[in-house]
Amino acid sequence: MPLLCLKDATIKFGGLTAVNKVCFDIEKGDLFGLIGPNGAGKTTCFNLITGVYEPTSGDIDFLGTRICGMAPNKIAEIGICRTFQNIRLFGTLSALENVMVGAYLRHKTSLLGGFMLTPAVIKETAELRKKAMELLSVVNLTDVANSRACDLSYGKQRRLEIARAMATDPKLILLDEPAAGMNPYEKDELRSVVFKIRDDYEKTVLLIEHDMKFVMGLCEKIVVLDHGEEIAYGDPSEIRNNPKVIEAYLGEPV
Amino acid sequence: MSLSKILGTRALSVVLAIAFCFGLDAFVTGQLNEYVVRLVMLAGLYVTLSVSLNLINGITGQFSIGHAAFYMVGAYSAGIVSNAIYKTQPLAAPAYMIISMLIGAVFAAIAGLIVGMPSLRLKGDYLAIVTLGFGEIIRIIVLNQNQWGGSYGYAIAPKYQAGWLIWLLAIICIATCRNLLKSAHGLAFLAVREDEIAAQAMGVNVTKTKVVAFIVGAAFAGAAGALFGHMESFVNPDLFKMEVSFLVLTMVVLGGSGSITGSVLAGATLFILPELPRIVSFKMSLGLLLSVLLGIGVLVWMNRKFLEKYHEPDKVKRTLVVAGANIGLVVLAIVVGKLLNNVPVFGTTNYDANKIRYMILAVVLLVIMLLKPTGLLGHHEFSWDWVKRVLNRNKTGEASA
Repeated sequence: MPLLCLKDATIKFGGLTAVNKVCFDIEKGDLFGLIGPNGAGKTTCFNLITGVYEPTSGDIDFLGTRICGMAPNKIAEIGICRTFQNIRLFGTLSALENVMVGAYLRHKTSLLGGFMLTPAVIKETAELRKKAMELLSVVNLTDVANSRACDLSYGKQRRLEIARAMATDPKLILLDEPAAGMNPYEKDELRSVVFKIRDDYEKTVLLIEHDMKFVMGLCEKIVVLDHGEEIAYGDPSEIRNNPKVIEAYLGEPV
Repeated sequence: MSLSKILGTRALSVVLAIAFCFGLDAFVTGQLNEYVVRLVMLAGLYVTLSVSLNLINGITGQFSIGHAAFYMVGAYSAGIVSNAIYKTQPLAAPAYMIISMLIGAVFAAIAGLIVGMPSLRLKGDYLAIVTLGFGEIIRIIVLNQNQWGGSYGYAIAPKYQAGWLIWLLAIICIATCRNLLKSAHGLAFLAVREDEIAAQAMGVNVTKTKVVAFIVGAAFAGAAGALFGHMESFVNPDLFKMEVSFLVLTMVVLGGSGSITGSVLAGATLFILPELPRIVSFKMSLGLLLSVLLGIGVLVWMNRKFLEKYHEPDKVKRTLVVAGANIGLVVLAIVVGKLLNNVPVFGTTNYDANKIRYMILAVVLLVIMLLKPTGLLGHHEFSWDWVKRVLNRNKTGEASA
């Protein structure tokens, strides 16, 4: 059974069909890429999977359960978490606290206990802090654990978003343009982080990216969208030579 | 920390809190000045109000300006129940007051739930308008109920003035909010304040968080209202006008949104500050008044233009220079004012400080907001660790500059 399965997923905003009958399966352990020119519907696709939008028609199944129409926090709970294209960190909270918010999803104590600060809550909070510290070390941010998220550099903020998503303990992690605006050195660092997430933490990764070199060197399977439609699917070498992809990115041959 | 140590410190703080409440009560009633006693009690109520509003406004980020309505619901509901059953029940007054407080809290919590609902869809200004409207609607409904006395007011029995209970409520309210922020659960509330979409994507139940904030915040305001009703033994809708909501909101903003200690500090001082001119009651000549106002303007200007940019590696020297310049300016303003007393119109027109006390308050607020827009404590909590950190940060910051 595939981990995530999109069946003819479609969403229309009035007359505009942003995503049109997109189908793909993601197996456990995949490093899956979603690419396409600007406005192709990649982020909308993410929003469908994470429950921000509900598909107009079609199905999205996660581990055999239909997840269309579920609230985003429910979807996070069953194991899908994401990062955002335009970074959405909790600005005035520290880097550590940001990651703790992600880890908070798996809390077991009651909110009433939180208001009374019971010993169980103190213990759990310490555990969450420890878990968050570990994840910060995965993305090499231990040294800025107590800095405010909004004071971090751009590349660090991007990595912090990944750590925060990882903290929710997802089965599938969605990265929306993780390398955008990074310099070559930061991109290399990010590449190793993504491999670490997949190999050491055994997560499945679905990522959107514009940097072709980055995607080709990272992903094992790639889906290409253009104007909301799926135009190609395959491994990097197939995608590279696919005439439709070349046309979508470079325009029609004269 | 081990379990026994946690329970030990907890027991100690409970004992200290109760000791503080009774100590304060004994100390204040020992003064035998009814006015001061009343002031201390009202300050306690306002601390509860501002800390509970801070939970909604500062910590969860839901801009609510209808807090007086919850206060009112608490006062009236507890009063109505008391009038109906107090005479027939055998409990002693203090025990009964606690029940009354719970009744006020429950009814206000229900009101909080009702207001919390639209907050799920509304944000910022829009939510503010809805809560403002809600506050007025509640007040006007009560105003038109003849069985509750309408605009004449409503007498509540028994009259019971318990300073210790009022301050105990304030401490419980402070402790509840502080506990929340110390636990991982508090992070969910802060996450909702910072970014709702991201919070939800990280699995935070945003709906539940907002509604809980409204319910808990309203419940504390309601409990405070119940105590207020019994303390006055007479309430009327005019006591819960918009001004009360705005005063509480001012306390939260002035103390620094999200800072509990800031709310406590601002709640207590902002309530007592306008009363000070009544206590010390002095006359002010027009000359002195103008000179002081002008002096304050110069003070703000001087601080922003020069003193903020004044770098001095020696912390002590810098503090001395800044404090010296400020104090010097105030003294200068007073001296100039006194000199102006010899000028015909400036010296002979006199103002009673008591009568212009709200103007003084407004000027103080203006100055604080100009010099420190994020409130007295910003997002921080007051603690000795924090003071140390700030001092160290300044040191390292200046060393690198």
